[in-house]
Amino acid sequence: MKFRNKLTVLICTSVVLLASACESFLDVNENPNNPEDAPVSGLLTNSTLETARNVYRAGSATSNYVQYLASPNPGSSSDTMDPVDFSSTWFNLYNVMTDLTVIIDKSTESGANHYLGVAQILMALNLGMTVDFFGDIPYSEGFDFETVTPAYDDDEELYGRVLSLLDQGIANLQLETTMSIGDDDFIFQGDIAQWEKFAYSLKARYLIHTQSYSEALTALTNGFVSNSDDAKVFFFEQAFNPWAQVAINNANLLLGGWISEQFIQAMDGTSYPTFDPRLPLMVGTTSTGEFVGTVNGAGRGNAPEQGARSTLIPGQYYTSTTSPILISTYAELKFIEAEAALPTDRNRAYAAYLAGIEAHMDMLSYDEEEDQAAYEAAKAAYLADPSVAVGAAALTLDLIMKEKYVALFLHPETWNDARRFDYAYKDMSLPENLNPDLNGEFIRRLAYPNSEVSRNGNNVPQVSLLDRIWWDQ
Amino acid sequence: MKKSYVFMLFLLVCALALPAMAQQQIKGKVTSAEDGLPLPGVSILIQGTSTGTVSDVDGNYSISVPGPESVLVFSFIGYQNKTQTVGSSTTINISLATETSQLDEVIVTAFGISQEKKSLGYAAQNIDAAEITKTRQPNVVNSLQGQVAGVQVTNSGGAPGQSARIIIRGINSLDPSADNQPLFVVDGVPVDNSTVESSGTPRGMSNRIADINPNDLESMSVLKGAAATALYGVRAANGAVIITTKKGKAGEIRVDFNSSLGFDKLAKMPELQDQYGQGFSGVRDDNSFWPAWGASIAEENDPSYVYQDNWNNAFDTGIQFDNSLSVSGGNEKATFYGSFGRLDQNGIIPFSTWDRTSAKLSGTITASEKFNFTASMNYTNSGGNRVPHDRFLERMMYWSETTDVTDYINPDGTMKSTGGNTNPIYDARFSTYKDDVNRIIGNLNFNYSPADWVTLSYRLGMDTYSDSREAITPGPMGIDGEVPLSSTGSIEETKINSRDLTSNFYITLKKQWNENWNTQLRLGNDIFERKSDRISLSGSNFVIPGFYNINNTTQVFGSQAKSIRRLVGFYGDLMVDYKNFLFLNITGRNDISSTLPKDNNSFFYPSVNLGYVFSENLSLPSWLTFGKLRASIAEVGKDTSPHLLGATFVSPDGYPLDGQVGFSRNSAFGDPNLKPETTQSLEFGTQLAFFSNRLNLDVTYYKSNAKDQIIPVPVSDATGFSSYTTNAGEIENRGWEIVLGATPVEKGDFRWDVTANLTTNKNEIKEIREGIDQIVVGSQFGYVGSTVTMILKEGQAYGNIYGSSYTRPGANPESETLDRSLPVLIGANGFPVRTGTQLVLGNAVPKFFGGLRNNFSYKGLEFSFLIDFRTGMEQYNQFANFISAFGKGSASLARNDTRVFDGVLADGSQNAKEVWLGQGVGPDGVNYGAGYWRNYHRTTSENFVTDASFLKLRNITLAYRLSASTLERTPFRTAKISLAANNIILSTPWDGFDPESFSAGAGGNAVGFTGLGFPGVQSYFLSLNLGL
Repeated sequence: MKFRNKLTVLICTSVVLLASACESFLDVNENPNNPEDAPVSGLLTNSTLETARNVYRAGSATSNYVQYLASPNPGSSSDTMDPVDFSSTWFNLYNVMTDLTVIIDKSTESGANHYLGVAQILMALNLGMTVDFFGDIPYSEGFDFETVTPAYDDDEELYGRVLSLLDQGIANLQLETTMSIGDDDFIFQGDIAQWEKFAYSLKARYLIHTQSYSEALTALTNGFVSNSDDAKVFFFEQAFNPWAQVAINNANLLLGGWISEQFIQAMDGTSYPTFDPRLPLMVGTTSTGEFVGTVNGAGRGNAPEQGARSTLIPGQYYTSTTSPILISTYAELKFIEAEAALPTDRNRAYAAYLAGIEAHMDMLSYDEEEDQAAYEAAKAAYLADPSVAVGAAALTLDLIMKEKYVALFLHPETWNDARRFDYAYKDMSLPENLNPDLNGEFIRRLAYPNSEVSRNGNNVPQVSLLDRIWWDQ
Repeated sequence: MKKSYVFMLFLLVCALALPAMAQQQIKGKVTSAEDGLPLPGVSILIQGTSTGTVSDVDGNYSISVPGPESVLVFSFIGYQNKTQTVGSSTTINISLATETSQLDEVIVTAFGISQEKKSLGYAAQNIDAAEITKTRQPNVVNSLQGQVAGVQVTNSGGAPGQSARIIIRGINSLDPSADNQPLFVVDGVPVDNSTVESSGTPRGMSNRIADINPNDLESMSVLKGAAATALYGVRAANGAVIITTKKGKAGEIRVDFNSSLGFDKLAKMPELQDQYGQGFSGVRDDNSFWPAWGASIAEENDPSYVYQDNWNNAFDTGIQFDNSLSVSGGNEKATFYGSFGRLDQNGIIPFSTWDRTSAKLSGTITASEKFNFTASMNYTNSGGNRVPHDRFLERMMYWSETTDVTDYINPDGTMKSTGGNTNPIYDARFSTYKDDVNRIIGNLNFNYSPADWVTLSYRLGMDTYSDSREAITPGPMGIDGEVPLSSTGSIEETKINSRDLTSNFYITLKKQWNENWNTQLRLGNDIFERKSDRISLSGSNFVIPGFYNINNTTQVFGSQAKSIRRLVGFYGDLMVDYKNFLFLNITGRNDISSTLPKDNNSFFYPSVNLGYVFSENLSLPSWLTFGKLRASIAEVGKDTSPHLLGATFVSPDGYPLDGQVGFSRNSAFGDPNLKPETTQSLEFGTQLAFFSNRLNLDVTYYKSNAKDQIIPVPVSDATGFSSYTTNAGEIENRGWEIVLGATPVEKGDFRWDVTANLTTNKNEIKEIREGIDQIVVGSQFGYVGSTVTMILKEGQAYGNIYGSSYTRPGANPESETLDRSLPVLIGANGFPVRTGTQLVLGNAVPKFFGGLRNNFSYKGLEFSFLIDFRTGMEQYNQFANFISAFGKGSASLARNDTRVFDGVLADGSQNAKEVWLGQGVGPDGVNYGAGYWRNYHRTTSENFVTDASFLKLRNITLAYRLSASTLERTPFRTAKISLAANNIILSTPWDGFDPESFSAGAGGNAVGFTGLGFPGVQSYFLSLNLGL
């Protein structure tokens, strides 16, 4: 009996030991590559960089619609306004919003109020861009994985969220913070005063969409006051500016970044009386030094791949490897001011209009002193030209929008302007080979991406490319 | 009292038994009927008992038998069993014939256990060394092609060392990234057969089984269903290929030398036109981007504008040279086998190479009757330069047909380009991607039998490799006017380290209860660990042109991926044999996996199989030599990949930037309550032999259901994640496997054997979790809306290819499948009307495939051929889409014709409008723009999803073996010379390269896309085998 007891004890002990050894032997599934938690600082770094990239992605998605760019190939779907699948742009917008949600949750908990405020401002921007593209989108049921098929929120309600996020962001920036932002912020390197100006400038942007002129004017008084306030991310030798990459690729015959005839003619003296001295600083020429655009939807015809058309070329303001991506600028704010003040205060509107042009002109410059001196003279001449300096009384919305169109080159906000302005830019015509479903009209929204249709199909609203989003009625 | 009764009874029995034990001593020698050499190690058993002996080094044996009525059974792997009644003789010399029929075949089953095929309750098929090496395929997987029912082997392409995919009984997983291939087991140790594709453009990498030298193999057996593999557990849920390597045999030392020289050439080419050259709209332009829409070459009549036959000139003749030497031998106590092999291969795309150097040493020591020990070690170094075949073929498509593609380089080293296009050969030469794999596979085996009814076995296996890869794309050389391959140039160094360890301990208990009942019980424990680490460092933008080192770049990024997976399994296996005609096998296994949530990570699954050899039990007509019925039901559990569970954060590629490292929430989320998958399978079969084994038939029906599939389900990005790994579906495979063998002629020295195998497979996706409409397996580019997608939907079969098609007014609007028999809608402009609505255009999984082997032998002469086929499948032909876009196909010779397209107008009437097919303004004054092919044909996927069936002469071999009498005058023991050819396409409706090539590689599941893959090759070999 005794022996049997001993044996039982021995067996039991070894089973227990073996089982526990087994458990620790098998406990190796913790992810060795990806941590289970990440600091708000690292999340903010990526959110600032990816927000800038989202501005690029959004600009890239819409630059052919507003005819900054044109495809070198005939009938390209981005020119002809065919439904294009923007699944990856959608992913990138939501990916940043997901990370911002994590920052908001973590910083609320830890009292890192500056991180909280900055995350709310960036959330407002990314949410606003997404609504401007698609209208109704998932938001209130998103980000927490409560459901795999989140419902779509009304776009007008979401605009309310954008503005309240900006207000909350501004309020949180005023509070004490347990943790300060520094170089982990690629936009303002932790300068909280700048973030506040940025938030007010964004408020003005979203308010102008709904023609809330007086509110916009109020907001922008706290916004940017010079080009040095601009919200932008400089790119890196290790990671080129994405437009620079387009220009480099095009130079290597991976065609892209071809300039639309519309844009060239708006600046080269064709559509308007004056040649705009900014043009040579923004785009390249043909091999014979001319500015020749490509007609949207028509392709390059018999033109060769290189040398016969204007394209983005490496090394300019928008296309240097370390150029910034402009998220929101002083120049844009001035044009918002001009538009908002125009019905009530023509003098203020006119002053803002001129300041907007000058601000954008000042962004661009030549390396060579002689060239720069000539540019300064041409700038002054342009600003004094009777077709530009029309005087407060003769200022029109057309002129404001024309100058804003140039100043926001490649920026996605121009598509919002174009839709509000019914694409009424001078000489802008429908692309060739227009998508026949558009019945001879310009595109008014993006189609919901394939990823969303296949994964959340029951919630995706049925829309056509002519259905306008709420502020564009 | 009771005790003494028993004792008395025992004595009585002994006394009665005594007369029967009047021993008779028999001795003799066992030789091989083939060459007359002694056969050591032959098992000699007295029938109906477990008493026996084994022949010694010289084939001699001696045994005492109870009496003249005793029957001796001589058996040896690879030879036919022979039974001999003792009679009055004291010397019995036996010569054993080599195995020809499948009846007495010995199959190596789970854990390297040899079992008589007769006793199995499930289907299994064996391939011997001769059949393995006959095709001279460097990759062992390829040698199974067309030979085994239920097994589909597909070459992913013709690149040297390129992977081949093997699927047993259909695809069992809905997960687009799952490995549906079987487990490979070498000498009882599972080994790695993963295919790590290149990052970036496809390069045709190897599946890791390619590291094994086929010349070292003794046999392969394929275990198909869950019943066969239940003991291997989760890793063999897709079946198993059990490889047995050659071992030394007691006797004199044998030296074998094999050498073969092979040549590869393109197996098949698309139908191409040679009448029109560079330019567009029928106009010649020597600087045009357009390679073949230009002027008529004949009309141009200019020696600088002639068809260059680039498609034949750009490809080289591939060469492979394979040599291997082995030495083996030993005595009763110890045997050894050592080999050395070297294979060098140059592919048909210039600068594509692969080589393999392998060395193997194995030995067995029989220390005593109770203990033996085996060890084996295999070292391989393999790798080569993997050309970017996808880009090569794409650039061939763009390349002008009137410009010589082989004239690719200027004297200063820069590229010669036309129309801004990159020269494919220049790119193949300078955009290098080299892999260098060092691999060691080793195992140690101990067997200890303290008594004849119990054996303790332990096996430790290791499979470890390092794979160093270097990819270089040169940047500009800084020479004026050059067209560089890349604006910056880049270099990427990748180091992959992987190590598999397996430990397997089991106890085997045997008991013969009486004459009728025989049992064997095996209990064991199995531990597996795979650890891998991949580090890559990439640099771009070279500072000094042509100096390829990471230090010489301005942008440097590193990344690392580590993983570890562990499994612990406990298993039991009970075999019951009743009167040698009824065989029952019950197994159970419990696995615990590190990859599943702790609460769900332990799972048990059983199997039962039954074999009934009715020919030994019933009296049957004499023409029915053998008959057996078998049935099995089994379940196998399956875990998932490591490190999938929960939510994590990642640092996206590209950091650090300005000293900052960004983080983002990982878009993949793993269900914290994940359960193991289970595959249930059912199998019935029969095995019959007629006319003394001259004809035999094996028929199997199988059905398997894989439930609770672990799938990364794509979810709305708005949830905060993009993919959610969870249990989300069920897939079913069912079908028939038929193997028919016959020896139609056996007369004197002439013999003719035929084996045929046929497989049908029907697959259905039974369920996908609610809320998920579809799972996208992959998609492939096609011009202007002709991109196709492989999508899984509930109720459909795996492998449906969706794409655009021509509108058919009569189609059922509810149906998702294109009905090609309906008339096409013709638009007012006279051309067919296309719809972008995605319809099922075909299915990429063959419904029916098989092979037919014929062997003829006469004295030393052997002739054999293997034909295989597959049918009931379609594939997307991306080449054809490009050919259409660039005016290269012979169909586009009709470019100056007019045509009335067959179809109906919107009002239902037959179309009668004549249209011109060319570009620009036609003879009728209408401007046709870019023409029919560019505007209509290339834009519609249905034109490119076509029947990819084929009938191939997989192998044809003629061999001559020198006779023993001739060899007596030489130092050689054996000598054989053979000629062979592989992969000759006999018939296919496919217009393109070899339809077998596909772009996903062996590890991928998007098999229905050809991509611009490395074209398949046909090969010719001359081989010499010498034995000393």
